Amino acid sequence: MSRTVRQRPAAWAVIGLVLFTLTWELWVRLADVKPFITIEPSRIAGELADNPRFWLGQTWLTAWHTMVGVGVALALGVVVGAVLAAARPVEWAVQPVLVLVMVTPWVAYITSVVNWLGAGTPTILFMVSFVTFPPMVFAAVQGMRSADVAARELLASVDAGRREVFWRLRLPSALPSLFTALRFGTGLGLAAAYFSEGGSVASGVGLGEVGRRGTQNQGGGYPIVWGSIVCAAILGVLFLVGVNLLERRVLRWHSSQRAATS
Amino acid sequence: MTSPNGPGKATAGQGDITTQPIRSGRVSTGTDVRGISVSGAGKRFGTLEALTPVDLHVAPGEVVTLLGPSGCGKTTLLRMIAGLEPPTDGAITVDGDDPVAARSAKRFGFVPQSPALLPWRSVEANVRLLQEVNRAANPAALPDPLALLDAVGLTGFRSAMPHELSGGMQQRVALARAFALDAPYLLMDEPFAALDEITRADMRHLLAELCEPRNTAVVFVTHSIAEAVFLSDRVAVLSARPGRIVEVVDVDLPRPRTADLEDDPRFFTIETQLRRLLHEGSGR
Ligand SMILES: Nc1ncnc2c1ncn2[C@@H]1O[C@H](COP(=O)(O)OP(=O)(O)OP(=O)(O)O)[C@@H](O)[C@H]1O
Ligand SMILES: [Mg+2]
Repeated sequence: MSRTVRQRPAAWAVIGLVLFTLTWELWVRLADVKPFITIEPSRIAGELADNPRFWLGQTWLTAWHTMVGVGVALALGVVVGAVLAAARPVEWAVQPVLVLVMVTPWVAYITSVVNWLGAGTPTILFMVSFVTFPPMVFAAVQGMRSADVAARELLASVDAGRREVFWRLRLPSALPSLFTALRFGTGLGLAAAYFSEGGSVASGVGLGEVGRRGTQNQGGGYPIVWGSIVCAAILGVLFLVGVNLLERRVLRWHSSQRAATS
Repeated sequence: MTSPNGPGKATAGQGDITTQPIRSGRVSTGTDVRGISVSGAGKRFGTLEALTPVDLHVAPGEVVTLLGPSGCGKTTLLRMIAGLEPPTDGAITVDGDDPVAARSAKRFGFVPQSPALLPWRSVEANVRLLQEVNRAANPAALPDPLALLDAVGLTGFRSAMPHELSGGMQQRVALARAFALDAPYLLMDEPFAALDEITRADMRHLLAELCEPRNTAVVFVTHSIAEAVFLSDRVAVLSARPGRIVEVVDVDLPRPRTADLEDDPRFFTIETQLRRLLHEGSGR
C-alpha cells in the first residue's frame, strides 16, 4: 500500500465498512443466524438490486418527509427563537414546554397523533416537525444570544432597527449552532419519519411502511425489512454529508470550518 | 441588559433646564450648545456610584481624552454620551440635542475596544455596515468605503475576510468603519488597548492623520498617557472610583500632530504632569 493511501481517511473508512460487512456476512453464514434476527448483507444487496426503482422511490419519499418536516421545524424554530431571544419572560414560559416535548418519547403518543390527523402524510410531517422543533428553537436562541456584545453596541450606536440587527447580526451569529442542531435534527427527523410511516395504513408512503409490511409478512418479508433498514441508513449518511457540505459553504468564515479545512 | 433605550425615551435627568430633547434634525438652540455638553452627569448602578457628576465640554473638531484608572467610569461616561445609557444625574447634550436623538441621527462614529468586525462579512462589507442600517439618517453624501480603506492602508484587502487580518489591521478596518458615516463626533473606547506598543503608536499617528482634515471631534478613552498627549487638545484626568474629573489639562502642542512630536521636550512635560495627576487621583 502506498504512503498516500495510508494517510487518506476516506480509504480507511471504506476498509472499515468492508470489514464490518464481511463480519456480518460471515457471522450469519457460519453461526447460522435465524432470518428473524438478521440476514446476510449479500441477500439485502440482492433484494435492493432486484427492485432498484421501488427502493429509490420509497427512499425518496422518506427523504422528502424528513426534509420537509425538518425544514418546517428549522424555519419555525428560527422565528420562535428570535422571539424568545428578544423577550426573557416569554423564554421562561416557553422553555419548559419545549423541554417537555423533547424528553417525552414520541413513540408513546404517536397513536394519538394518528387518531387526530389520520394515518398518512399529515401525521408523518407533523411528527418529524414536532420532534425536531425544540432543538431548533434552543439552537436559535443560544446562537442569537451569543451575538458579539461589542457588535450589538456598535449597531445600537447608530440606532439600527430590530430587523436590521436581526438580519445583519443575530441570524448570522446563530448559524453555527443551527447547523449543529440540523445535523442532529436530520437523524432525529429520519427516525420519526420512518416510524410514523410505519403507522400508516396506506401503502407507498415510504421506507417505514415498507419495513412494517415486511415484518407482518412472515417468512418472505425479511429481505424487505432489511432493505428498508439499509436504505434508511444510507439516507441518514447522505443527510449528514449534505449538511456538512452546506455548512462548509455557508460557514466558511467560522473558526470550526477553518480548523476542518486546513 | 445593555440594550439601549428606544429613540423615543428622553434620558435627561433632574436638574435639567437647558435641554429639550430634539428628535429630528440638527437644530441647535444657541451657539453655546454646539459640541458635546456634559453638565453634572453622573451614574449610579444601584448603590454603586460608577461616576460622580462631572462637567465637560467638547467643542466641534476638538479632541478630548478621558484618562483614568480602571473602573473609574470612563466607559460609562462614553456610553452616556453615545446615548446608550441614561445618566442618573445631570444631563448631556450633543449640539443641543439629547444623546439618544443624536444617536438616531447617526452623529456618532463609535469605535469599541475590540474591533467587533462581523466575521462573515468581507473587509469592505464591514466598512459599509453602518451605512446600511438606519439609512434614513445617512448624510446626503456618504464617504466612499474604498477611499477609506485606502486611507487606513488596506487597499489590497477589500475582499479579505476579518480572520485573515492581524489585530492591527482589524482595528484599522474598525477606524474606516467609524469614518464611513462622516459623523461629526467620534467616540472611541480604548480602541488600541489590545495592540502591541509599536502597532499602537502607528495607530495613533494614523488616527491623527484621519481626524485633522475632517475636523472630527473625538472623545477618546485610554489608559495610555502617550496616546492621550499625542492625540488630544485637552485631557480630562479622572480619579479612581467613584470617578470624578481631577483636572482638565490643555495640550498646547502644534497641529497637525506628527510622529516626531513624541520626541519634543514639551511632550514629556505634559506626560509627566498627567502621570502625576493620575497618581494623585488614584490615591497613591
Ligand atoms: N451595567 C453595569 N451594571 C453595574 N455596574 C456597572 C455597569 N457598568 C459598569 N459598572 C461599574 O461601574 C464602574 C465603572 O465602570 P466602567 O466600565 O465605566 O469603568 P472604566 O473606567 O471604563 O474601566 P476600564 O478602564 O477598566 O475599562 C465599575 O465599577 C463597573 O463595575
Ligand atoms: Mg472601559
